[in-house]
Amino acid sequence: MTRPLIRIHNAETNEVIDREMNDEEFAKYQELEQAEATRLIEIEAKAAAKAALLDRLGITADEAKLLLGGN
Amino acid sequence: MAITKATASSIAPAAKGDLVVGSATNDAAVLAVGTNNTVLTADSSTATGLKWATPAAGGMTLINTGGTALNTTTTVISSIPSGYNSLRIITVVTDPQDDGGGLRLRINEDSTANRHAQGFMGATSNVQFNQTSVPITYSQDNGTPNGITITDIVFYDNTSIWKFATNFGVVNSYLDNARAEFIQTWGAYNQTGAVTSLEFFFNGGVNASGGTVYVYGVK
Repeated sequence: MTRPLIRIHNAETNEVIDREMNDEEFAKYQELEQAEATRLIEIEAKAAAKAALLDRLGITADEAKLLLGGN
Repeated sequence: MAITKATASSIAPAAKGDLVVGSATNDAAVLAVGTNNTVLTADSSTATGLKWATPAAGGMTLINTGGTALNTTTTVISSIPSGYNSLRIITVVTDPQDDGGGLRLRINEDSTANRHAQGFMGATSNVQFNQTSVPITYSQDNGTPNGITITDIVFYDNTSIWKFATNFGVVNSYLDNARAEFIQTWGAYNQTGAVTSLEFFFNGGVNASGGTVYVYGVK
């Protein structure tokens, strides 16, 4: 499997190397990817819960803002 | 005594740009013009008390020659030299491969937990070090790269204090790419070593599909 690429620009020599991530870098990358997936799931869950609540109350999001004094 | 063209010519400057200068009390000498782009500088050790010298370097020096393209998953600028007062990092037209990607900066490629802290407008007090990088942008649109960000790290080569980054910029909003998303963030790194490398990546492992980062040393 091809791993994501990492680019290293050495400011001292001006050498630019593109290579696949090594094991350690790839593990960090996967952690980051997982964390982002979790974050997106949480955002979607919150949005779904909010929509369900508005539906139960029978009001729109704008009307809910008015009730809460938001703008 | 008034200096006329005749008296000045009698000292006989040899070429355009030569100067007639005092070399001692009641004595004059010719100072030959300097090479292009040099400036006249006082120097008591010379016969005329003057010399032509290259102006002292100042301003900003691009450290990563030519800039570094951001079109891989991760980009590292390594071997950052010491000796400047601060680093100025400028990103232009960065473009995440997917909508909503936010560009991150990791100092010294250090992904150890609890060493980076991030501050946003409205979230700046009593902030924990619970990050492994700091934000450059939040959530960018992909495909409409028009943005620019500017990040400063002062005392970056000091080895006894934490490092702080101030960052601001604007990118296309991912909610509506015809709108702007303004960014003002702060980053902190609770280690005292000099900053010798900078790592850039989009959150969530999103690939970068465009953009360039320039790292300047500022005198």
